[in-house]
Amino acid sequence: MARRYDSRTTIFSPEGRLYQVEYALESVNHAGTCLGIRTKSGVLLASEKKILSKLLEQGNTPEKLLKVDKHIVIAIAGLNADAMILVNLARLTARRYSAKFGQPIPVENLVQELSDHKQGYTQFGGLRPYGVAFLFAGWDRKGGFQLFHSEPSGNFSAWKATAIGASSQAAQAMLKSDYHEELDLKAAKNLATRVLEKTMDCVKMTEERLEMVYLTHSDEPGDVVFRYLSLNAGEDEA
Amino acid sequence: RGVALARSRARSRRASTSRAMSIMSYNGAAVIAMTGKDCVAIASDLRLGINQNQTTAVDYSKLHKIHDKLYLGLTGLISDQLTFIQKMRFKHEMYELRENRVMSPKVFGAVVSAALYEKRFSPYYTEPVIAGLDKDGKPYITSMDLIGADASTDDFVVAGDNVESLLGGCETFYRANLEPEELFTVISNCLMSGVNRDCLSGWGGVVTVIHKDGSFTRTLKGRMD
Repeated sequence: MARRYDSRTTIFSPEGRLYQVEYALESVNHAGTCLGIRTKSGVLLASEKKILSKLLEQGNTPEKLLKVDKHIVIAIAGLNADAMILVNLARLTARRYSAKFGQPIPVENLVQELSDHKQGYTQFGGLRPYGVAFLFAGWDRKGGFQLFHSEPSGNFSAWKATAIGASSQAAQAMLKSDYHEELDLKAAKNLATRVLEKTMDCVKMTEERLEMVYLTHSDEPGDVVFRYLSLNAGEDEA
Repeated sequence: RGVALARSRARSRRASTSRAMSIMSYNGAAVIAMTGKDCVAIASDLRLGINQNQTTAVDYSKLHKIHDKLYLGLTGLISDQLTFIQKMRFKHEMYELRENRVMSPKVFGAVVSAALYEKRFSPYYTEPVIAGLDKDGKPYITSMDLIGADASTDDFVVAGDNVESLLGGCETFYRANLEPEELFTVISNCLMSGVNRDCLSGWGGVVTVIHKDGSFTRTLKGRMD
């Protein structure tokens, strides 16, 4: 029955669903898990690095956690090629806002613009939606530290802690039970590692399977930095 | 290079001045860049004037940091300077995000030149000076005209509304392979003597010296006229 309603993005099914959008979400669920945890002093993003082959050249550029602006980091889950287009768009959007207003773009504005762009692909044009979901971690004066989740449908929401990608339901459940507002970096890192160990089905996490970033204030007031964290570094590494 | 409106204004002031006003000397500026031993120095004056005879600010540096080892100095019309630096910052920040590294001075010079030539038939009225160290610590300086014709040298480059005086100072005082502190002294002397011959630039100066371990910036006190 579904067959008749899924070949075009621009039409509803009788039950009021957009099948192409749902299929896009399915595509995201095959990707490596990413999770985000917001703490009082910053936001942590962690993701699983899928190592497909020893022959692959591991370059300098991070695979899943990318910088969009000085104060915003993005975690990608889904079709990589689609993601790169959107990350580039996010970077240009942030730059254009900076050039126009002389201020860093507020996180929600950026998420909104990207989501509006994604929404276009579910309503007109006859093109398929992007098969990517994002987690945005950022800081701005308006909202402090923020964590956003953006979907292929163009829908987005703010979270204290959330997960996307493979086994995100399980990850989400674990986060729900173990997250609390008073987490510090060490505890958040710990929690993220445990959750990923569970979703990746590995007994002990190793360095090359994990990518982690922590966005926090630097010593200068109003300034944010983010560091790529390594698994076994000291507690006060942040 | 006068603009029609400026020409008519100049005509109406013919009693006091016989020279037509150039858009490039509307605000006033002087910038020098010099190379030393594994270091570069870039210096600018601090005057901001309006319509030539009015001084509006005396703390207006024409130097802009692109990254830790690269500075861009802009002369000419301040409005165009402001727009142009915004455009260059945009390009450099996108490059940094995409490539995960900073632009080398030579590459940045090429980008600036291309950006200026893009507006060949309605240009940005600004002439840039670029000074920096590449990733191996090798000094690089260049200057170009308002449509992007660049000429990189290995000693010094100048820009502004009184290049003759600036060049004269540099030709006299410059020595190759100076250490950072010596380079600072030389470039400061060149800037001060150069701007003292020009009523549209001066009111002090600011000098930044970039060396392999970092950089330092110092303000110069000069004749306040």
